[in-house]
Amino acid sequence: MNKRLLGALGTVILGVAVIAGIGTYVASAKNDSRVMVATAAGTINTPQGNLPHYTLDMSAYPDSMAGSHGTTGGVHPDWVTYGPVTNFQVPAHSLITITIKQYDSGARITNDFFASVHGTVDGTAIINGKTVTSVDPEAVGHTFTLHGLSDAKSQLFVSVPLPSVPDASVPASGYTKSPNTITFSFITGDAGNYVWNCEYPCGDGTVARFGGPMSTQGYMSGNFTVVNA
Amino acid sequence: MSELETQKRPSMFERKDVKQTVFIWVIFTAIIGYFASTLQARSMGAAASETMSTTIHMIRVFTWVAAPVAGLVAAMAATTLMSKIHFGDNPPEEADHQIRNSPRASATWMVVSSVLCLFAVVWGTVVLQKDNAALLNSKAMNINVTAQQWAWNFDYVDNGTARSDVLYLPVNKPIVFHVTSRDVIHGFWIVQMGIKVDANPGYVTDTSVTPNKIGIYDLRCAELCGLYHAYMQTKVHVVSQADYDAWIKSQGGQA
Repeated sequence: MNKRLLGALGTVILGVAVIAGIGTYVASAKNDSRVMVATAAGTINTPQGNLPHYTLDMSAYPDSMAGSHGTTGGVHPDWVTYGPVTNFQVPAHSLITITIKQYDSGARITNDFFASVHGTVDGTAIINGKTVTSVDPEAVGHTFTLHGLSDAKSQLFVSVPLPSVPDASVPASGYTKSPNTITFSFITGDAGNYVWNCEYPCGDGTVARFGGPMSTQGYMSGNFTVVNA
Repeated sequence: MSELETQKRPSMFERKDVKQTVFIWVIFTAIIGYFASTLQARSMGAAASETMSTTIHMIRVFTWVAAPVAGLVAAMAATTLMSKIHFGDNPPEEADHQIRNSPRASATWMVVSSVLCLFAVVWGTVVLQKDNAALLNSKAMNINVTAQQWAWNFDYVDNGTARSDVLYLPVNKPIVFHVTSRDVIHGFWIVQMGIKVDANPGYVTDTSVTPNKIGIYDLRCAELCGLYHAYMQTKVHVVSQADYDAWIKSQGGQA
């Protein structure tokens, strides 16, 4: 075969191999593979009729000593994180009730929109036993905001603010014994892949405080997969 | 003098290979012009505003104007390759296509390129100016658009305190968007309406459009903005004025 043709072919093959290698590395490194599957809780009456009911329990921590990063906090023990995992799986066309224990302090949220509850049943959430539609935007710790591609079959947008724990209640080590407990429910549509993330800028000093844990999967964001029951 | 030297060399356009190139040029121009203008317009979706209709028309015309340039380059490349395959590394003198030190060729190329660029600039400016006409319309409806990693929210400031994560617009009404960001730079892009502006933190950028077709359209972030940039999308519902009024009331606003 012509040497020049062989060289050109080799160059193309090498280029494809390099790109495939980078893609494979990025795909394998992109996320924690652990998934929490929602727990069945019978059926429940909803505005859309009687639906299967499932629950998920999670927490928001001020560091990574809890959650999925191991007892040493993993690579970034000082990063805020959700736990015990950040990937969730729930059934389609069901009522999902999420309970979050919020251990972190906070401050003013940059966008008041995310101090309000969006997309839940009745547009409400229960915070420490009280039903609310919004929280004080001056005292937000994190948010749980769920959304997906707009061309997905079913639109799903749920955003619930998690009020901050007062600074005085946050111990120097360990976690407060009085976390805020936030419970909310929403109804899933068709099966599809969604993501969730925190909309309170709780990352490090980069990218308008959306860097670090806010820009790394496995901390303040993750996958939310809706599957056919 | 040899017979070869005394033989008169044919003029440029009498040469067989040049005729072939011109023929291929015409074919390539037609193919490139048709597919580039059709596929490009189709990929942008059905227009939902006059802005988008004008943009698609402009792109079609630009594509057809530029097609001969792309066609010529492709035709010359094809001729060169065919010549190489036919003659190998030692082509005869009649296969020499090089044009050296030709002020006429240089001038033609520069003038044509300049005219094409000037055409694009002038028409683009006129279209851009037309797009923003609603900014000066005192009857236009104002909506504050806030971008944030990785979501949008909309404040319907002319309708009280209504807010949403999905955009609702009444059909055939000029809309002025006041676009800003809470964190990094995002891109506010309503695909089928042909408007796209950056959302800059600390600044408000105005843009406008008049949606003219009822339907559901796509709003996407057009600036790479972080981890879930790809998910920073939402829907735009263009509805009748009556449906809009009903929706705004359901959101706690005033019609």
